[in-house]
Amino acid sequence: MSDPLVIESIIGDRGDPALAGRLHEIGHHGVMETLVVDPADLPRRRFHSLTDAGTACFVALPRSARLFDGAVVWLDGQRAIVVRVGEQRWLRLAPGANAALELGYLAGNLHWRVRFDGDCLLVAVDGPIEAYLARLKDFQQRGKVRIVE
Amino acid sequence: MRTNGHGAARVGIGGPVGSGKTALLERLIPLLRGRGIDLAVITNDLVTHEDAERLRRARLLEPERILAVEAGACPHTVIREDPTLNMEAADSLDRIFPDLDLILIESGGDNLASTFSLDLVDYWLFVIDVAGGDDIPRKRGPGVIQSDLLVINKIDLHPYVGVDLQRMRAEAAAVRNGRPVLCTNCRADEGIAAVADALCDAVLYRGA
Repeated sequence: MSDPLVIESIIGDRGDPALAGRLHEIGHHGVMETLVVDPADLPRRRFHSLTDAGTACFVALPRSARLFDGAVVWLDGQRAIVVRVGEQRWLRLAPGANAALELGYLAGNLHWRVRFDGDCLLVAVDGPIEAYLARLKDFQQRGKVRIVE
Repeated sequence: MRTNGHGAARVGIGGPVGSGKTALLERLIPLLRGRGIDLAVITNDLVTHEDAERLRRARLLEPERILAVEAGACPHTVIREDPTLNMEAADSLDRIFPDLDLILIESGGDNLASTFSLDLVDYWLFVIDVAGGDDIPRKRGPGVIQSDLLVINKIDLHPYVGVDLQRMRAEAAAVRNGRPVLCTNCRADEGIAAVADALCDAVLYRGA
């Protein structure tokens, strides 16, 4: 097995005009590879992974760096590697009457990552959905929450 | 490999009170040093420097390479919700020892819900022990489920506490969807090399 590519910096954003030309050229004459990163793993600075082409990578970023969707992490004459953030699944919850505070408390107590959308609470699903549904079961049975999607 | 100017890799060690986190550190430190890894340690305690003092007394590292953080309250707060104190401690170690490869951050003893923020660490392991009961994996605590590596310690005690170790290990692997589980007996230095291999492979890319 060959040594992995060691990725030690984020070169830029694929949308950056300064990089777009080079990426376009590599797309025609070289290899464009994608490194998929799970949303929950974005804060990681050091990890092993494979690109979609099977290239082994060892990511070892400085602590000040943070990966993002579209981050160009490798660029040479023949190859570019661009980060794509995997799809984040969300659980959309509608609190029952007078239950919004209690639902918010539950989500906080369980350290769920949330967003707000109108009257709904969106919960980031970072593991098996069953684990989230199990925690909501009692709330559902008591009419304190409705799972919208 | 050393990534110049990027700071040392940071590895968290969490787990319940008395599961053997400090004992694991005491075994890991000489092993990692023997592999040429330049390391330092941060310990977290509630209101004392007990674990840091224990490590200093053991003379496994120079005293200035062992920092103590007093959590003051819930131990998980300073490794997850607001890890500022630990981040500052790790940053200071990076400044003092610019060639540092690795910083091990031991959490204060907590419960099964304890997890590390990935803003603080690159990789974290969770230590449980057989004397705590073989039902711990089945309880599916976030520490057991989400850690990068689960360590089951004190395996030598299983005949004395009525624990079916094989079943405990199988249930741990099942709830973790195949993520790694290792068994150790820190007192006898058993299984420690495998833990060192796992964390070196994960964050240092230098192997055994």
